Amino acid sequence: MNYLLSYLIIAEIYALAAMSTNLLIGVTGIFSIAQGAIFGIGAYIVALSTLSDTLPFPLAMLLAMLLCSLVNVAMALPSLRISGDYFVVTSLGMQFVLTAAFTNLPGITGGASGLAGVPPPVLFGVELDDSQSFIPLATLALFAGMACYWVVMRSPFGLLINAIREDELAVSAAGKNVLMTKVGVAALSGVYVGVAGGLYSTFLSFIDPSSCDISASFLLLTMFVVGGARTLAGCLIGPALLMALPQALAVMPIPSSAAGPLRQIIYGALLITFMLFRPQGIAGQKL
Amino acid sequence: MSTAASILDGPTGASVAAAAYLDIVGVSKSFGGLQALNDCTFNVTHRQITCLVGPNGAGKTTIFNVITGFIRPDAGTVGFQGQPLNGMPSRHIVDLGICRSFQNLRLFSELSVLDNVTVYLPSRTDENPFRPVLRPFRANSERRERRAAALAILEEVGIADRAEDYVRNLSYGEQKLLCIARLLASGAELLLLDEPASGLSAQALDTMIALLLQLKEKGKTFLVVEHNTGIVRRLADRVVFLHQGHVLAQGDPEAIIADPALGEIYFGGAI
Repeated sequence: MNYLLSYLIIAEIYALAAMSTNLLIGVTGIFSIAQGAIFGIGAYIVALSTLSDTLPFPLAMLLAMLLCSLVNVAMALPSLRISGDYFVVTSLGMQFVLTAAFTNLPGITGGASGLAGVPPPVLFGVELDDSQSFIPLATLALFAGMACYWVVMRSPFGLLINAIREDELAVSAAGKNVLMTKVGVAALSGVYVGVAGGLYSTFLSFIDPSSCDISASFLLLTMFVVGGARTLAGCLIGPALLMALPQALAVMPIPSSAAGPLRQIIYGALLITFMLFRPQGIAGQKL
Repeated sequence: MSTAASILDGPTGASVAAAAYLDIVGVSKSFGGLQALNDCTFNVTHRQITCLVGPNGAGKTTIFNVITGFIRPDAGTVGFQGQPLNGMPSRHIVDLGICRSFQNLRLFSELSVLDNVTVYLPSRTDENPFRPVLRPFRANSERRERRAAALAILEEVGIADRAEDYVRNLSYGEQKLLCIARLLASGAELLLLDEPASGLSAQALDTMIALLLQLKEKGKTFLVVEHNTGIVRRLADRVVFLHQGHVLAQGDPEAIIADPALGEIYFGGAI
């Protein structure tokens, strides 16, 4: 039972991160591969704040949302002036810089061995220290995230970011501030991935650089590609399937040392297969 | 050459200053070694259709880009209703009341017809991602209001029955009408159209011309890039003849079209 609940919680957390990726890449067409690093900022902020007893869990989450949003915007402001292909490289650079920071600041982040013993969330005096008690929080966060995503997609802002993906110049000609709109998307996307990161480190009681390095960014990208662009269903299906994969490998008769590389191979194969045969993903729209 | 002598050498005389609505004075722009605009001076009169004609490479699209703030000129000024536009961001120029279409349409092909128009409606709030989250009911009512406003515009241009269709399913003529609908949605008074009639069937062309004339009657002003002299005759109140980035002549359409010197430049004498 706990096994299934843990899987569901992780899938829910990654679904929030997938919404963040979808807002940036799927809806607006900002191809960022620094999402793993921003996820890491959220995870480390909540872990550090609660480990040091500086902030209670809700405030630590708010701080994570705010900082992830700000970092995403700070990255976006100079980078969004350049065209799409160059932004990929810029975000890749950002990913490397942040991974290096997570790894090489042992006094703050615990270095390569990470931060262990992150306290579980405490809400209304209740300690959410196991899967049964944590899943209502993760589910509530997911539903709130889905509701916001739905509202945003139906709003004038949602329409505007869809239009930006289609033709930025035509949106400029309409008198809209394309740069500020993209910055807005980056901020919103940062909030989503900040929540996901914060929930991740408190649920696992642990965070290390490998959870938010370039492979984490690729994992988020794979979820997006498999689930599909722009739709809420895509944001749920991608993480649900890809988080099931490690569980499936764990029960197969494979040596544990081979499971990791095999997982990476499967992720890579999925990316190639979907791009070739179903670029819109399982439940998405045309990229 | 006698007619040409009177209208060549660019804009002179009282007609330029009298009812100037859009004033382009001495605008030059070069791209590397290419002089796209060279001391370009003309004006657009309020509630009239001014056609911009000239051979390929004359600088017609470049002047559109300069007027709408997409390109900064190397020299010269653009004024709209007495206000200088130089250095102004393109979105502020739209706010002032100038909106342009593109030769290659640039429609949002994966969005519905209605959404294409809705994006062009002016709004102070639609660039804020947190507003719909913080005020979801307000955002929803705004969405309804905007869709209703967009539908009214589609009715005005005659493609309301295609409102929910994707743009890619429209005929070319309908796509061109959608371009006009988008410009109307912006609320602009001066509409810059880049070849609105090109590629249209005879019937679609009639519809387009009737629509533009009707919009002019309702108070809109147009600056239109057009190649076809037959269409220019039907549409234009005034013609500006551009050649190598310089205004060779401007004035009455019949006089300019009939001018043999200009015909030589434009058609190699085949006018």
